[in-house]
Amino acid sequence: MKIPPFKEHNPPDNLGYWTNKKTGEKYGGQYISPLLIPNLKKVETGFKKAMKNEKFLADLEEQLVNHIGIVTPILRSKELEEIAGGEKKIGKIFLKRTDLHHDSSHKPVSAFSSVFFAKHILKAKKIITETGASMNARAVASACAKLNLSCEVHIGALDAEKVSLNKDITELYGADIKVCHDSTKSLLPAMAAALRSWQSDPTAMYVVGSVCGPHPYPLMVRTFASIIGRIAKKQMRDLIGKSPSTVFAVCGGGSNLSAISYPFYNEKNVDIFGIESAGKGIASGAHAATITSKAPIGILLGARSNVLMDADGQVDPSETEASGLDFSGTGPEICYMASTGRIKFRATTDKEAQETFLMMCKKTGILPAIEACYVIHAALKEIKKRKNPKENHLIHLCGSGESNVARMLKYKKDNE
Amino acid sequence: MNKTFQRIFAKAKSENKSCFVGFVTGMDPDYESSKQILIELSKYCSVLEIGVSFNTSTSDSSIIMSANDRAIKSGAKTEKIFQLIKDVKREITSDTAFVTMGYLNQIHVYGIDRYIEDCKKSGVDGCIVVDSNNEAPEDDQIFKGLTKNDMAFIKLIAPTNDSNYIKQSLKKCSSWVYIVSYAGVTGSKDVNLNNVKKLSKMIRKQSKIPIGVGFGIKSLDDVKKVSKLADLVVCGSSIVEKIKEGSQNGLSNKNLAQFVGEYVKQIAKGIE
Repeated sequence: MKIPPFKEHNPPDNLGYWTNKKTGEKYGGQYISPLLIPNLKKVETGFKKAMKNEKFLADLEEQLVNHIGIVTPILRSKELEEIAGGEKKIGKIFLKRTDLHHDSSHKPVSAFSSVFFAKHILKAKKIITETGASMNARAVASACAKLNLSCEVHIGALDAEKVSLNKDITELYGADIKVCHDSTKSLLPAMAAALRSWQSDPTAMYVVGSVCGPHPYPLMVRTFASIIGRIAKKQMRDLIGKSPSTVFAVCGGGSNLSAISYPFYNEKNVDIFGIESAGKGIASGAHAATITSKAPIGILLGARSNVLMDADGQVDPSETEASGLDFSGTGPEICYMASTGRIKFRATTDKEAQETFLMMCKKTGILPAIEACYVIHAALKEIKKRKNPKENHLIHLCGSGESNVARMLKYKKDNE
Repeated sequence: MNKTFQRIFAKAKSENKSCFVGFVTGMDPDYESSKQILIELSKYCSVLEIGVSFNTSTSDSSIIMSANDRAIKSGAKTEKIFQLIKDVKREITSDTAFVTMGYLNQIHVYGIDRYIEDCKKSGVDGCIVVDSNNEAPEDDQIFKGLTKNDMAFIKLIAPTNDSNYIKQSLKKCSSWVYIVSYAGVTGSKDVNLNNVKKLSKMIRKQSKIPIGVGFGIKSLDDVKKVSKLADLVVCGSSIVEKIKEGSQNGLSNKNLAQFVGEYVKQIAKGIE
């Protein structure tokens, strides 16, 4: 398959801000201790150079195709069409199966690209990263093993328990795992710990697992990850002769939403939906739905974006069954796209996602990551509401659910 | 230059000393103890640097992070830190400068103009905002607001910064500039005097601004060595450790203040 080349059609300004012209609100930027400024400048300059380096881009693409297996299929799901009311009522539903990548999620694409960039452009010897569901850690550690770089992973103590399988695989790939016991013991303090570690070791390169962090990370991660969307767009054209009517993806930090939807930003007749975790319900306050709950603008981990926080600016912990969505902020470009209304947001509760997990296993024979179940639930609801037989819907099935098995079996038994 | 700092530097110069800066996280472990600690430390410190806690800071070591957690648990909020400074200032007689140290999110949420106004009202002499990048629009607003109100904007300069970044920082820096002695988080390594010498030289090429040095200063010997190279010597994590130690041993209020004060009194002698 000839993969369409990357095109920049939503650039931030030179300081890394996306500005909403109507409200004047800025998203992104680079808010970080002076100690890290030189590191970030190095990444920024390197990234610009990399995007002009045809050999680097071609070599990276070759690795993504042959090692990550990036050309995963888009499969039509007649079972989901039936559940939503049947093709004659709602049209066709397609699943982009990035769970079939090497290491079983969408994460290896940006992770491998970032590590490949660190090795070949920045000549780094060590990678520092953080993780929630450990999908990122597993992917980064795998890339480091293949590319012979040392790897340090920061993980919140609670997440380390929840996703022990991925954590164990990360360890087998040779990563040095540092369990973080700070504040909420989840992704957010792990990310802060990784940044602090990078501050102590400027020769290393920091790899962000999402489209978050200080400039240029949100730009770089979405640019690397968007190859998923470029392939998906071409596959949809091959399958149905045009772009889909809707694109649905789950949104924690926003990487898999960016990855699949970025190439559709300029196609006005494609509706893009980002799905957040409503946890125990938005009203309960125990959720990870930054955009849906209308969280205010704050400055979190180096960037200006919507943040779950209290009236004094202390970051509130997010709460969700899905470690991969357990984050109190959302990437700045996604917040900007939400502010313009280009990406519409919905939220799914933990309970709805857990039920969807069981339904997917029983009715479709697919074991999706719990994260993907938030989007599948919301997509089915939205598709039923749209009730348009002429439409074609694309859902990003962004990960496989092996590491959720123990908790989901317990859920199943507890609810029988 | 801010008038309190002017007087402090003039006095230090006449006595041929440098200035000792003591850092504590505001309201660690609680309001009253923190107040007593600051009152006690004012006897030995020319400058008191008071941390405004942020639970997601990206530059502090676990020592300061734990202090932040203790302070937040005891109800620390930005407006309470201003109240604390006011209360302390009311009870001390020494000519001590007060500096707040925090992260931009707190100031952004509080409102930049309101923060500056309350700094002024509480008698704050300067502010350190760790993650306020020179190029950020908020940084300009803070710089203008502080300058207009005769307060110092104290910028951090690290061993990894180049001369261009130093130049940019010095443009916005007033009263003094803060050299971070090593690449790392607060209190995680020993003070690096070679970095201090190199950075002082780079700064001196561009400006006569007084130089403060922090990160890794934890003994009398460290203070003596740094004092020979700098106008201000900042000691933070080791004081915070003492607060934790005393607090864990059941001390509070004046007893805790005396315990911490004893330590600070000993190491602050190094500026002489």
